[in-house]
Amino acid sequence: MAVSGRDGRAGQDVLRRVGEASVLILISLADGPKHGYALIHDIKALAGVELGPGTLYGALDRLERLGLIEPLPADDRRHPYRITAPGAAALRVHLDSLERVSAAGRLRLRLGGI
Amino acid sequence: MDEARATRLVEAVLRCYPARWRRRHGQEAAELAALLIRDGTPAGSIAWSYLAGAAREWLTPRPGRRLSTLACALLVAAGSLGISAGLLASTVPAKAAVTSPALRPAHGQPGPLEPAGVIPALGRPRVISQEARHGRSR
Repeated sequence: MAVSGRDGRAGQDVLRRVGEASVLILISLADGPKHGYALIHDIKALAGVELGPGTLYGALDRLERLGLIEPLPADDRRHPYRITAPGAAALRVHLDSLERVSAAGRLRLRLGGI
Repeated sequence: MDEARATRLVEAVLRCYPARWRRRHGQEAAELAALLIRDGTPAGSIAWSYLAGAAREWLTPRPGRRLSTLACALLVAAGSLGISAGLLASTVPAKAAVTSPALRPAHGQPGPLEPAGVIPALGRPRVISQEARHGRSR
């Protein structure tokens, strides 16, 4: 079931249940299209997470089914992917949500004197 | 592990994916694995990742995959388990030759081969479990 552009703007965090790998892939694709090998390297550089190739393809398929990314014409044997408008909106909502949780966590740590 | 063996291992694991997935990602996945192996990623961890991915791919319901296909797969799995269990069970009575009618003495005459522990309602001699226990103790 694809996610429409409106879902992201409506404030529904559709990425809450897709898993960390999918979120990292969307963040990596946010600055331009990439294929699998480039995604693995970029995610390792930006988050220190080594995505296994099996995990990568599972997450790519899921994000594509949700309409959050789309494949571009194959470059040799490699299929680059790009983030779609609903994907960008969903990522923004998810990052806002993480920011709120992060801020609340930091505030509580200060309040608790830890 | 040398590169040729690593490639063969990854190719074998990639064959575990459904045909639809292999048509779409197969070549790219093999090339990605080769690049990662060249970068120093252990072939075993790549193969394991693909194996887990293949399992997820088979277990995740897809709109294109009909419910009847999944039901058939489950039935075959259940049938295989049932046949295995049946074969296991059937080997035990076969050992209990004393239950064979040809070896039984005439009605009313106690014979030396009469199993003392036969449960009439089930027709299963208790001696079987004792045999099994003897077998295990050896």
